[in-house]
Amino acid sequence: MAGPDAMAELVAEAVGGSRSALARLISVAERGGEGSAALEAALLPCRGESYSIGITGAPGAGKSTLASALTTELQTAGERVALLAVDPSSPLTRGAILGDRVRLQPHLGNPEVFIRSMASRGHLGGLAMATCTARRVLEACGWPLVLIETVGVGQAELDVAGATDTVLVVLNPGWGDEMQANKAGLMEIADIFVINKADRQGLEATRRDLEAAIAANAPTRRPAIVETVATEGTGLNALREAIADHRQQTTASGEHQRRRQARAVTELRDLARARLELALEAQLAGAAGKALADAVTRRETDVDSAARRLLATLFTRSDPEQAP
Amino acid sequence: MSGKRILMAKTGLDGHWRGPTIVARALRDAGFEVIMIGMARPEEVVQACVDEDVDLVGLNIGGHIDVAVRAVTALREERPELPVFCGGVVPPHAKRKLEALGVEVYPPGSQLPDIVGAARRLTGLG
Amino acid sequence: MNDKNSDGKAWVSTSGIPLKPFYRDEDIPPQHRERLAAAPGEPPFHRGAYPTGYRTKPWRIFQLSGFGKPEDENARIKFLLEQGETGFIMEHDRNTGDHCYNVDHPEVVARREDVGLTGAVMQSVRDIDICMKDLPIETSYAHAGGAVVQHAPFALAGYWTVAKRRGVALDRLPGTGQSDYFLTYLGCVTKQQVPTDTGLRFNADIMEFCDRHLPRWVPVSIAGYNAADTGLNAFQELGALFANAVEYLEEIQRRGTMPLARAARGCGGVSFRMSMDLFEEASKLRAARLMWQQLLAERYDIRDPKVANLRIHCVTAGSRMTYQQPMNNIVRGTIMALAGALGGVQSLGVSGYDEALSIPSEHAHQMSVRIQQILQEETNVSAVTDPLGGSWYVETLTAELVERAWSFFDEIQAQGGFLASLDSGWLHEKAAENQHREFMAQETGEQVIVGVTAHKDDSSPYEVDGFMGVDDAFDVALERLEDVRRTRHEAGAAAALRQLEQVCRGSDNIMPAMMDALDAEVTLGEIGDVWRDVFGDWATPIQT
Ligand code: B12
Ligand SMILES: Nc1nc2c(ncn2[C@@H]2O[C@H](COP(=O)(O)OP(=O)(O)OP(=O)(O)O)[C@@H](O)[C@H]2O)c(=O)[nH]1
Ligand SMILES: [Mg+2]
Repeated sequence: MAGPDAMAELVAEAVGGSRSALARLISVAERGGEGSAALEAALLPCRGESYSIGITGAPGAGKSTLASALTTELQTAGERVALLAVDPSSPLTRGAILGDRVRLQPHLGNPEVFIRSMASRGHLGGLAMATCTARRVLEACGWPLVLIETVGVGQAELDVAGATDTVLVVLNPGWGDEMQANKAGLMEIADIFVINKADRQGLEATRRDLEAAIAANAPTRRPAIVETVATEGTGLNALREAIADHRQQTTASGEHQRRRQARAVTELRDLARARLELALEAQLAGAAGKALADAVTRRETDVDSAARRLLATLFTRSDPEQAP
Repeated sequence: MSGKRILMAKTGLDGHWRGPTIVARALRDAGFEVIMIGMARPEEVVQACVDEDVDLVGLNIGGHIDVAVRAVTALREERPELPVFCGGVVPPHAKRKLEALGVEVYPPGSQLPDIVGAARRLTGLG
Repeated sequence: MNDKNSDGKAWVSTSGIPLKPFYRDEDIPPQHRERLAAAPGEPPFHRGAYPTGYRTKPWRIFQLSGFGKPEDENARIKFLLEQGETGFIMEHDRNTGDHCYNVDHPEVVARREDVGLTGAVMQSVRDIDICMKDLPIETSYAHAGGAVVQHAPFALAGYWTVAKRRGVALDRLPGTGQSDYFLTYLGCVTKQQVPTDTGLRFNADIMEFCDRHLPRWVPVSIAGYNAADTGLNAFQELGALFANAVEYLEEIQRRGTMPLARAARGCGGVSFRMSMDLFEEASKLRAARLMWQQLLAERYDIRDPKVANLRIHCVTAGSRMTYQQPMNNIVRGTIMALAGALGGVQSLGVSGYDEALSIPSEHAHQMSVRIQQILQEETNVSAVTDPLGGSWYVETLTAELVERAWSFFDEIQAQGGFLASLDSGWLHEKAAENQHREFMAQETGEQVIVGVTAHKDDSSPYEVDGFMGVDDAFDVALERLEDVRRTRHEAGAAAALRQLEQVCRGSDNIMPAMMDALDAEVTLGEIGDVWRDVFGDWATPIQT
């Protein structure tokens, strides 16, 4: 694993405009562990602000196609666009087919567009563990706009709200029962509802249902509704404007700042939890853990006391650099 | 977890999807992350390989061999160490041409375990 | 009786129908007994389209052919006709033709060496004229190219325009252009193509136009072959093919512009794949004729025997042709061709022995013709129609295929119909599932492919190197394109193109405007630009 100097060098290269350095940094983030920690540290001094847009919705709703059309739209407005596209890993084999790029064909080879496919690698919540780090890498490298496509959302996969500045929830005409079941969650996270595949039947009914659901569940936030046909590029202008409005409103109201604050808390919690878990597992596998488990088996101590003792072993070191 | 990433591209303006699909699924089932980019020109293959920072490149060749050769040559310039393997319509003369460039060739009739084995070997998984 | 071997191996047909060790009379299901007595040429036609079979009309020897420049393709077609081919097929280059791009399109330029590899480049009526030079268009059944839906209006209008210029009346021309959904919406999905509903409009327009002007032309020819070689099994191929036909017929019914029976006649010339399961494949053709007759009678009340007898072209399964030990493919080609003959085809193409290496070399092409000639002239299979009729096995298999095919047809209807099952990727997934199963069966040794999974020969893996093609197709095409642009009557071309665009934006039949456009020397890519502009791009459901 690269030491801090090598990492700083790679970061400098990426910030200097090397795409391959940028790409390798994202790989470092994906591999996680101490490399990723070193990367975070190396990114800290970097300036650079980017605005991030999350795109979430059921499998096949047209997220990638929409991301592609939106990229085209933003490109014509002169913006450089980076996209992180997350697809699920198989829980059984850990393998994945990352197919989002096929929808992004129009942007293949365009130097103004950076696309990176990421496998969720067992992370629940719709993003990969490394997505936020990857976003920070892009930010450091001066990509002003970062689109993040989640895996198709199920029940609890709503992490994208914490990770991005504007969240697009993509629905289709005739949004099915799965969506109904998930309505409350989506109402909570959506900044803009995109009814994509507006060329399909049932558009009117869906819009009505959606308006009613917003009135019932999110009367104060009132997320905008935009209709698009991503495959034809229809409605993208309106979507770009809706995003710009949302950005402007949240910036003016201070909401934007509050979200970033909340994001920091979330990331802090996630990372701390992940480290805690790792340390816990290590301890459990070590001598102390074995001894405690034996004691419980032999009924020399109760489980709860053993658990507290185990935790205590994690926090006995005084050097914070050595903490889990 | 292997975490090894393989790019799968089609060099021809050619839609035969059975080959790349069955190969991609076999690689996924063996734990690889397979990034599909569809039909891509040589320079597009190169940029995708760079951006995706892949460990191995898979080319499905449906058209003329020289188009694939140009893609391989461009890749070698950008990332000389990156291994490439391929399959599809590769008659013996084309196979020889690619092999001379250090590309492993899996012509029609290749068995999936052999292809998966090659992917493991080429990505250093043994 | 059981269908398991002593070692537990299941004996099933390739499509998964359980097979008994032998068959008896009582195996034929009751509802299929009544038809047994019918003669060939009589409804329900399972025994054959015509009573006298090959005695009066040998099947047509019809080989896919073409590459390089139009003159290269012309020479190959003439070669095949000399060898005894009795119809001819004009293959267009897929980079340009199938995508409706001119050679100077960036996607094509980036792959310039590929241009002409699998068909001749024909960008204007001038190129088509070269390709058709001295071909017997009045007397030979032609496949004019345009197998791909969005390309068919161009290829057809081009062929017809050349014929007109030569003074051949359109109503005398025999042939087809295919215009098949399975080829590029299921099989080989192009980089760009019109959405499926636009394709339906094109095909219905072609049907109407032929109804008015080209009575001897088969306007559309649904190619089950393409579905099967993409992965659908025998009964799925049947079910999907008729689901496609229903889509055409119902579009014509909605339009009400021509009698439905004539539309049915227009889409009653189809193709199937002949693969290696000899009896299942022969039975499939019998099942197909039976199903067409049932469909027309029961769904549309069409009972005219001239309409209800399905005419069938077959191609031997390219996917059964191996890269390893390619000479074995001559045997495979013969067996698959025999299946077609036993099933009663009207027309047949045999894949080259170098199928897995390249498009056919001259020698491979010659062998494909010879195989058919040997069958026709040396084996006496032509003497008796439906030689398998009355076989308990074949009759039972025919019945079983019919039943399974109708349930697959129903499944497609439940998906919202044929086009919906393409749009959603449902059919693709069916094909992919079968292919996955096949690979697993090869791994376990349940399925054997000689020379590939067994009886391998490492010492001399190849005996042939495939066909090398020509290397000047791109350069010549570019010159000719520039030449057309320089020398055509520009105002006339521009006006014809504008007219075409206007028709496309409305709802009139596009074919008259296409005829004018081709006559005015509008080029392929210009027409493709109109398609892309007016109709947009199909939302491909698959990810390769
Ligand atoms: C089935 C088939 C079709 C199907 C489509 C199947 C599909 N969806 O993929 C249909 C019938 C629709 C079709 C249509 C056409 N086809 Co076709 N088709 C074939 C055929 C018979 C088999 C291909 C196949 O699917 N095999 C099964 C798969 C699993 O095998 P595979 O693709 O070879 O993949 C294996 C290996 O090659 C390898 N592999 C493949 N990719 C990769 C990638 C990597 C990284 C690795 C490691 C390995 C690997 O692993 C796989 C497992 O062993 C071949 C001939 C042949 N026998 O190979 C012709 C062939 C490919 N077709 C050909 C042609 C010309 C066409 C058409 C243009 C004909 C026409 N004009 O109508 C059209 C295409 C139109 C278009 N716009 O593109 C030519 C191509 C010639 C050339 N390039 O020089 C061939 C070689 C036939 C021929 N001799 O003419 N075709
Ligand atoms: N008719 C129509 N089809 C669309 C539209 N947008 C996308 N599609 C099609 O819907 C299918 C799925 O699109 P994707 O963009 O891959 O969907 P996705 O949400 O990214 O899918 P996952 O990443 O697999 O969850 C593809 O076939 C698209 O072409 C649209 O506006 N109209
Ligand atoms: Mg996607």
